[in-house]
Amino acid sequence: MTPGQRPAGGLTVSTPSIMPASDVGALWDEVTGDVAGGHRFAGLMATQQADGILLSAHLAGPGGIVIREALLPPGADSYPALTPRLPAAFWYERLIHDLFGITPEGHPRLVPLVLPQHNGTAPRPRPGAPGGPEVIEPDEHSLPRHVTGPGLFTIPNGPVRSGVMESIEYLVETPGEDIPHLNMRVYYKHRGIEKRFEGMTPADGVLLAERTEGVASVAHALAYCHALERMAAVEVPWPAALVRVLHAELERLAGHLDVAMRLCDAAGLAVATARFALHKETVLRLVSQMCGSRFGRGVVVPGGVAAPPRVSTADLLDGLARLERSISGDVAVLMGTSSFLDRLRRTGPLRPERARAHGALGPVGRASGYDDDDRRARPYDGYAALDLPERLPHDQGDAMDRLQVRWDEVSGAMRLLRRAAEELAGAGDLADAGDLAAADGRAGARLRADCGVTDGRAVGWAEAPQGEVLYDVRIEAGRITRCRPRSASFHNLVLFHEVFAGDILTDFPFIEASFGLSIAGVAL
Amino acid sequence: MSAVFAAGLILLAAAAAVDLGAGARWPRLMSVPYLLGAAGSGCLAAAGAGVLAGQHAQLAVSGWLGSGTLSTQTGGLVVDRLSGLFLLISFVAATGVSLAFASWAARPATITRAEPVRAAGRTLVGRRGLGASYALTLGAVAVIMTATDAFTALFAWETLTVAFYLLAGFERGRRGRPEGAFITLVFGRVSGAALLLGLLLLAARSHSLSLASFTQVSGGAARDAAEALLFAGFAVKVGLVPFQVWMPRGYPAAPGPARAIMAGVAVNVGFYGLWRTLELFGGAPAWLTSTVLVLAGTTALLGIAHAAVQQGLQRVIAYSSVENAGLILAGFGVALVGAAVHDRPLVAAGLLAATLQVVAHTAAKSLLFTSSAMIESESGTSDLDALYGTARRLPWSGTGLAIGSLTLAGLPLTAGFVSEWFLLESLMQQFRVPGLGYRLVLALAGAAVALTAGFAGVTFVRLVGFVVLGWRSSRPENAARAADGGAGRWRDYGWLGRVGLAILAAGCLLTAALLPLMIRVIAAGLSPIVPSPVTYGALKSPWVVQPVFDGFSILSPSWLWIAMPGLLAVVVIFTRLVSGSRMTRVRRVPAWRSATAGVEGADCYTAYGFANPTRRVLAAVLHTRAEVRTLAAEHEETADVPGGFSADDPARPEPGPPGTVVPYAGAYLGYRSDVIEVVETYLYRPLVQPLLMLVRAAKRLQSGRLDAYLAYMLIALIGLIAIVVALA
Amino acid sequence: MSPWVLRGLRNGVVTTRWPARADQYASSWRGPATVRAPVAPAGAGELTGAGELAGAGELAALCPTGAISVQPAAGVRLNVRLDVRLDQGKCILCGRCVAARPDTFAWSDGPGGAALTRGGLVVPEIPETPGNLARIREGLRLRTAALRRSVHLRHVDAGSDGAEEQEIQALLGPVYDIHRLGIFITASPRHADVLLVTGAGARGMIEPLRRTFDGMPEPKLVIAVGTDAVSGGLISPSYATAGGVGEAVGVDAWLPGSPPSPFSILHALLLVLGRLPGRDGPTRHGGAR
Repeated sequence: MTPGQRPAGGLTVSTPSIMPASDVGALWDEVTGDVAGGHRFAGLMATQQADGILLSAHLAGPGGIVIREALLPPGADSYPALTPRLPAAFWYERLIHDLFGITPEGHPRLVPLVLPQHNGTAPRPRPGAPGGPEVIEPDEHSLPRHVTGPGLFTIPNGPVRSGVMESIEYLVETPGEDIPHLNMRVYYKHRGIEKRFEGMTPADGVLLAERTEGVASVAHALAYCHALERMAAVEVPWPAALVRVLHAELERLAGHLDVAMRLCDAAGLAVATARFALHKETVLRLVSQMCGSRFGRGVVVPGGVAAPPRVSTADLLDGLARLERSISGDVAVLMGTSSFLDRLRRTGPLRPERARAHGALGPVGRASGYDDDDRRARPYDGYAALDLPERLPHDQGDAMDRLQVRWDEVSGAMRLLRRAAEELAGAGDLADAGDLAAADGRAGARLRADCGVTDGRAVGWAEAPQGEVLYDVRIEAGRITRCRPRSASFHNLVLFHEVFAGDILTDFPFIEASFGLSIAGVAL
Repeated sequence: MSAVFAAGLILLAAAAAVDLGAGARWPRLMSVPYLLGAAGSGCLAAAGAGVLAGQHAQLAVSGWLGSGTLSTQTGGLVVDRLSGLFLLISFVAATGVSLAFASWAARPATITRAEPVRAAGRTLVGRRGLGASYALTLGAVAVIMTATDAFTALFAWETLTVAFYLLAGFERGRRGRPEGAFITLVFGRVSGAALLLGLLLLAARSHSLSLASFTQVSGGAARDAAEALLFAGFAVKVGLVPFQVWMPRGYPAAPGPARAIMAGVAVNVGFYGLWRTLELFGGAPAWLTSTVLVLAGTTALLGIAHAAVQQGLQRVIAYSSVENAGLILAGFGVALVGAAVHDRPLVAAGLLAATLQVVAHTAAKSLLFTSSAMIESESGTSDLDALYGTARRLPWSGTGLAIGSLTLAGLPLTAGFVSEWFLLESLMQQFRVPGLGYRLVLALAGAAVALTAGFAGVTFVRLVGFVVLGWRSSRPENAARAADGGAGRWRDYGWLGRVGLAILAAGCLLTAALLPLMIRVIAAGLSPIVPSPVTYGALKSPWVVQPVFDGFSILSPSWLWIAMPGLLAVVVIFTRLVSGSRMTRVRRVPAWRSATAGVEGADCYTAYGFANPTRRVLAAVLHTRAEVRTLAAEHEETADVPGGFSADDPARPEPGPPGTVVPYAGAYLGYRSDVIEVVETYLYRPLVQPLLMLVRAAKRLQSGRLDAYLAYMLIALIGLIAIVVALA
Repeated sequence: MSPWVLRGLRNGVVTTRWPARADQYASSWRGPATVRAPVAPAGAGELTGAGELAGAGELAALCPTGAISVQPAAGVRLNVRLDVRLDQGKCILCGRCVAARPDTFAWSDGPGGAALTRGGLVVPEIPETPGNLARIREGLRLRTAALRRSVHLRHVDAGSDGAEEQEIQALLGPVYDIHRLGIFITASPRHADVLLVTGAGARGMIEPLRRTFDGMPEPKLVIAVGTDAVSGGLISPSYATAGGVGEAVGVDAWLPGSPPSPFSILHALLLVLGRLPGRDGPTRHGGAR
């Protein structure tokens, strides 16, 4: 395709169709029907409205995301739970219960998830409604045990865990060595992000989106901006789309290298750990040279990107080539280190049918043979034109396959980066984007379409290293009134409950690392 | 010495008499039988010591029990050196146990704290007959160890079986006791039958009931068969595979310190019997020797494997008896090999190791069962997890438990360390044995024993670490139990009992400290089998010992006793000097639990959890089976929902009842993991069924009608006559 | 293992020598925004009456976290000038102010950025009472004297976005390798001398944070890592965060950044340990660029 030409795909996909249902029962019928019909259950959220609480289910299908909704009458404090019919909603309904205080009747275990409160009367943030309590103190209390039996005991691992880790508490309920089941408390670092979005200008919103899940800043910013752009029906200029792809794929590289590093660390391969740490640092430095932030923050803005990369395409390609060489060398050696592979094989297996039933996202799903990649199924920005490389199928679903999938994606990202960089070089000189040094926020029209503030409601998505990030944004009178980010970490972490069967305590770090999730994206 | 010996037996008889006569009526006399028993035991021990010192002791009753009519020799009880050795070992321990027993029996009803005995009138002064059974046991032991003719020996043996039955079945009101008593009786009968057959075979050939006469029996199949039968009979008593199954049931069934009498003291008759058989026969056929060695190794491994994973304190100790039987018989097997290849030093090495193990086991096992008796009756449970830290409230019993555990774990400064060292060293002498066969079995047994020694540590660290050192306040439920009135103030052994515990503890420790002395005593005792000078080979120099053979390896437990505390002191002093006052300055903060908000239920290793790795590692031996079941509701153990799966296989069926899908994460689960007694499951279970069918068939004959019985007799008579006629 | 030995030698020494030697990447780092001049030049400030407020509002409104404060400079009648201050403790490095008013604002450069007092993060600096900073330094010196060259870090995430953790983790990597400076990460607070706290002070983490702090032996130092930890950044105000970790534990060093680069974290560490080259290290915030 000739440079600068706007390719097909991207945002030309159908904007989400919002389908209201008569009542909750009917809504669940439709949702389960869609899931049976091949749609992926992508999330469930609630919104406090003047006329009651609106339940919205997101269903990912080819080409777009469908929203099915039903309104709970005002004062309704309960509704029939979806979880018994669709286990994937297990955490979503617990979250809704925490944030709104409404009870899903028939939920198998309705214990607090992000906002532990003993008495049900405590004030709830109720996102969607302006105002809300200034302060909500979570009260620490122990969760009921999942596993009962003679001599069983719980090893609390967290919230302050050994090493530099995010705060979460894994409750390892064990008879001593094997882990029949894992329990967890994720509320510790709940930050009230959903509520924080409200009242912000769309422009400020992207800053918060970048800080919702730091290791996926670009993906979150993209998903958020896609929602706005879909609302305003603007198309991102082709060069900007390419820059976005560059940063998104670099973020993917960094994320996967981090996982590899932690796996090697768990196996005690000091040199390998250092090697992958070095590669990751190289990527982060490349990013910071391109945009000033090591995590690609401030690049993505509604309508395009803030500034062109400060690194010449030639340097970028050169750096990438060198990086790819040394990474592939290390990968070859690592995947030949049997002491390492033995720890991964058959560790933390997620059965394909479970992955499909749950709609497992990202590498976790792909390793179990369930591959629903936004870049492929619902392409955005440059991806439709940059034809993604085919992936090898995997279906063991163990830590080994999850790592394998990540290596595939690393090489795929390398290819995408090369293609995008070449395209960008072809896209001509971006100097008219203005003085590179001080152009931030004032990039020329070739990098940023005018994404005026328009009221409305839309869903945006992007494929983060961990999997799909989903944003459901509603804007009224130029201000955000509801913004619900749904990270892949939140959707995938619940699978932790069940991937431990038969594994022993020493397998724990491998399984955790192989999932490669970020707790910030879970507790929000 | 004869007088002392006789006095001992008379005192025991008196004990029984007092118990049956007065014990029930005057609770204040409750402890008298045991005091008499202690005195009697003391006398018997003294008699044994005297004989070892070269004096003479015998109780010759002409025509005693009519045995005189059967043979020209007068039957009776003679204490020779071997008997003396075993009398000494057993009855020193018996003295200690008896003292503790006295102190334990002086307090009514504590034993029933766990579950009130259902049988009426048993709750308060319910000990009548216990003392008698106890005295009977000790008496039988003494007689067996000194009997000179088969009849006396057998009679005493059967008496012992009955006594065991009475002890095990004493609290028949409590759960599991009758079964324990029954299985004890059954195996007692089996051993009795084996001995009877064996002895009769011999008597038939030597035309005399005197044991001494059996030495003249010429070799051949009958002699070997007889020896095998005797081995089998004694093996049942000591719990050699496949006869070990009665021990973990029978021992815990007995009340309080009676277990110590059974497992610590009385079990020695089995070892004595084997030693005596070796003396009489001067060896064993190759196949028997090999069998003994292999079975010994298996027994040790199986015993420790089960001991390591048991939840009940008493069962752990009981299974360790099985393990020790294996260890001791391994040493005995070495001696048999030595005898077979006519290598007297090897015989000495094996027997010395085995006897030392007998000493260590007698002391430690008596100590363990005595202390655990008090712990159980005070805490009202024998579940290790419930006992967490309880020994802190019973300092004397706790200390006893700790010392006993360390001894059986074979840690330095204890007799267990010494005996296990000797045992392994003697097994390592296999390179001196000609012929591949013996070397192979020796190596096999050696490997098994080494493995056992390793797991023994894992086993007993559970007792020391959880029951003794466990810190109560770190467990809410224990704190609660401490708070509630049910436990009230716990009372440890009185001063009598403490003396008893002290005697047993001394046995565990001094045996190591004064090892050379001990070796001289044992050498004297073994002289009927192997001359003392040979056994003295174990003494390299006054305070340094070696496995009889010179220049192989040496050890000096006595020096260890000086060196180890010394080094510890040096370290402490050094630290103190270097750190100055900082060592004593302590800032107390809550234990670091990764800043958790607290969890429900136990939050640190349970005894069960600690055994879990063993359960997995030895899955081949224990046939461990772990499964996770989906429960219908929270904390519901009974109502099962289909969907259990083995925790070992990652592919698990979708849990939850059909219709409503319980997401796996939402389900409540029940975890179970149990081990299987392989011998019981694969050897006895299949036998029991046909047996019962046979019994049922036989029952049909008993119609209860006289004419039918007469008809049976008539038929039998006719049949008999027919045969006679046919033969004529 | 042998292949790994060879792999390890491939790229030679990649470890930085900073702070002993200058590091190109360190000095090229773009820190929080700063103010070019204490007084806004004409055009921005030269306003009167209502316009003044407008101008002030316009400047202050540039910052999404309200880091910019504007008061009329005292003393001058007519021809009022605006006294612009920027609290780097609130700066999330979005760069809007720099883009909109390059005449007034600029990026600070270099790995500096940490301050020993919360007030010290405000630029242009409010003149401290003379002895104050010196007193603080002296106090730190006394407390850290015993640590010498064996310092152990414990990290607590009090509601971060996950990026700070990665930057701290990077310190252990071959490039920064804090072990060369005798600094180590430890699992238990029992062994820790310095507590690195990240995140906006999520209320769920306040108690665990206190427990960890109480679990540390004296002497102990606390560094608030990242703008979120210093002031709550863009996350606060929120019902679930306390607007920084300052009120939960006593902080000895405040390090803004979203997230701060590994070099900045290292700088903050050496600052509290009094181990920066020179008497008290390079100026806290580098020159404007």
